[in-house]
Amino acid sequence: MSKVFNWQINREMDYPYEAAPPKKQFGAVFDINKCIACQTCSMMCKNAWTSGRGQEYMFWNNVETKPYGGYPQQWDVQALSLLGPQTWNGNTYTGKTLIEAAMAGTDGRPVVGYTPDALEWANPNIGEDESAGLIESGTYFALPHPVWSFYLQRVCNHCSYPACLASCPRTAIYKRPEDGIVLVDQERCRGYRECVRSCPFKKMMYNIVTRVSEKCIACFPRVEQGLQPYCTTGCIGRIRINGWIHSPQEADLESPVDFLVHGRKIALPLYPQFGLMNNIYYVPPIHVPTPYLVQMFGLGVEQAIQRYKEAKDDPETLGVFMLMGATERWVEKFRVVNGEAIGYDAKGDEIARVPLKEPVQIRQNYDASRLVFRHNTP
Amino acid sequence: MVDVPLINKAALALLVTFAFGLAAQGVVLAQQGPQLTSIYRSKLPSSPADGAWKDVPLAEVPLTPQMAIKPTLLAATVSSVSVRSVNDGAKVAFLLEWADSSRDVSASRQDLFRDAAAIEFPVGTDIPAICMGVRGQMVNIWHWKADWQEDIVKGYQDVVDTYPNFYKDAYPGVNILTATPPFRFPADFDTPAARPFMIGWQAGNPMSQPQRTSPVEDTNAVGYSTITHKVKQQVDGVGTWDQGVWRVMFVRALQVEDVDAASITPGKEMPLAFAVWNGANQEVGARKQTSTFLNVTVEPAGENAAGLGAEPWVFIVGLALLLAAGYGAFRLVDRMERVSTGTGHEQ
Repeated sequence: MSKVFNWQINREMDYPYEAAPPKKQFGAVFDINKCIACQTCSMMCKNAWTSGRGQEYMFWNNVETKPYGGYPQQWDVQALSLLGPQTWNGNTYTGKTLIEAAMAGTDGRPVVGYTPDALEWANPNIGEDESAGLIESGTYFALPHPVWSFYLQRVCNHCSYPACLASCPRTAIYKRPEDGIVLVDQERCRGYRECVRSCPFKKMMYNIVTRVSEKCIACFPRVEQGLQPYCTTGCIGRIRINGWIHSPQEADLESPVDFLVHGRKIALPLYPQFGLMNNIYYVPPIHVPTPYLVQMFGLGVEQAIQRYKEAKDDPETLGVFMLMGATERWVEKFRVVNGEAIGYDAKGDEIARVPLKEPVQIRQNYDASRLVFRHNTP
Repeated sequence: MVDVPLINKAALALLVTFAFGLAAQGVVLAQQGPQLTSIYRSKLPSSPADGAWKDVPLAEVPLTPQMAIKPTLLAATVSSVSVRSVNDGAKVAFLLEWADSSRDVSASRQDLFRDAAAIEFPVGTDIPAICMGVRGQMVNIWHWKADWQEDIVKGYQDVVDTYPNFYKDAYPGVNILTATPPFRFPADFDTPAARPFMIGWQAGNPMSQPQRTSPVEDTNAVGYSTITHKVKQQVDGVGTWDQGVWRVMFVRALQVEDVDAASITPGKEMPLAFAVWNGANQEVGARKQTSTFLNVTVEPAGENAAGLGAEPWVFIVGLALLLAAGYGAFRLVDRMERVSTGTGHEQ
């Protein structure tokens, strides 16, 4: 066991391997507030990667409704139950991580986990749009909503301290040094499924025909070409942006993800208490009561929601949100100049330019040059 | 002293000889550990159920759960395996039998694990460290898998075998003009566009290869986490399950052209270890029950049953000593009789 530092829980923790931070770490921010659960991201990924035999049940990207949905069913409830009490002292997590809980336990595994049965993987969108609670007579909209639900979009987090990698007895899972993308060596895997059991997010999936395990590959062939993954570029609601994520000390505030996570602290990791230092960050939904969100995203929720509400007056923050979905290409750096957000690639070339405020155009009711009336017909 | 008739002297001499013989055998056995002989027969049994196995001596090998390295097995679900072996001078067969109440032959669902058994041989003359060998002491592990067995018997297990009512009308790269939903793997998927989706298959992973010729995987290992599919697969076998018992036969040529394969030499002794997996308990990989060593000697061609278990000269010398002891006893009793009845003083 080695000691590694996890800034998401602000302390050292145990991990089977020494920290070996990659040169760059793949990361992303998902704005939960804008997701409409159209599932285009899921379909993009499915068409690109999981349309083979044995992959029928797999959704490397999925969108589930909280509180009742989950793919596989109840994955987070079960993971949190296995972990025991999750206590914080300010920024510092004082409970056990998944690996520390296994060390203290007696089940003979390096990570606490469970193997979902086949039925738990079925019905990927169970609980869709189910609200937390019933609407009583007299209920009216307020912020947060008295009766609420929200969509949670999930991909592999490409954790900095992955549970899957820690649990593979054959070291068949590796983290790429060039971009921190976590992959399963398809030649080396023998289908033991320790990884499936260990990943608390259940983003490791066993192929029932090839009998080895697979997972989200972060569209690495696209990333290698300077493109964002399919789930990001396909997103209709333009809720996602990818970027390189660094530690707080090394944050590059010109990089979109670093800016939202470290600069504005408006994007938070999911279940940091697992102790895996995951690299997909979420802007929490402003319409959901805080206690539920704190359990998922930690104590930074209230501040994040406040900053999000103030974003309309913050050009830089607004600029990053406007760059979401503005280009297929990986945004290395961004700037906001004169009411426009500009994205740059690794070479420093401009790849996107978006106004912060959509220009207003007034179209007359009668078009004199074409001698027709313009109709506002839906 | 009573008058001891001749027949009683002979019986007493025989008793002494027998007692010495037992003691000597006990000493010899204790020094050598659990033993098995791979009996020579002119023809190998043809299957696990072949009646020819009945009079082949067996060794009952106890199994304990693997607890040396995580992930560990907390409690054994199989407590022992019985091992028999026959060789015909060219090939050797091992029959493993163990109790398993469920026949787990599928790894084709997220939560299903298959039964398996393995024999571990040293490569070279060093005794391997228990469990997977160590760098510098390679082992050759013959790993029989129940799902590979089922693949051979029933055809490669596909989605439709797990879910008989499954339907999907299209896959990328599958020619829907010539193939009929819900399709069959691998036949309908062997196209350049379809193959990459089944990346384990495409990458050549042995777990994913649909055309199986043997249910036994021939592997090498040099320690934990190193088990590797050998380039040359030279072990065959067959396993059948009947009323709560698996019977698995492993067959291979005694000598193969491969420096990393076990060399099985008639007349020589080798320490073998065994492992069993119970799929119903989700056992796979390191989560298994293993044995300590069983010393197996391959009986050379032409010898009959009841293997000697030790070098021939030991028996020649031993027999001479026993005969001398028996004669000595006979003479002693005779002398005692003469003294008591006064029929003579010295010879």
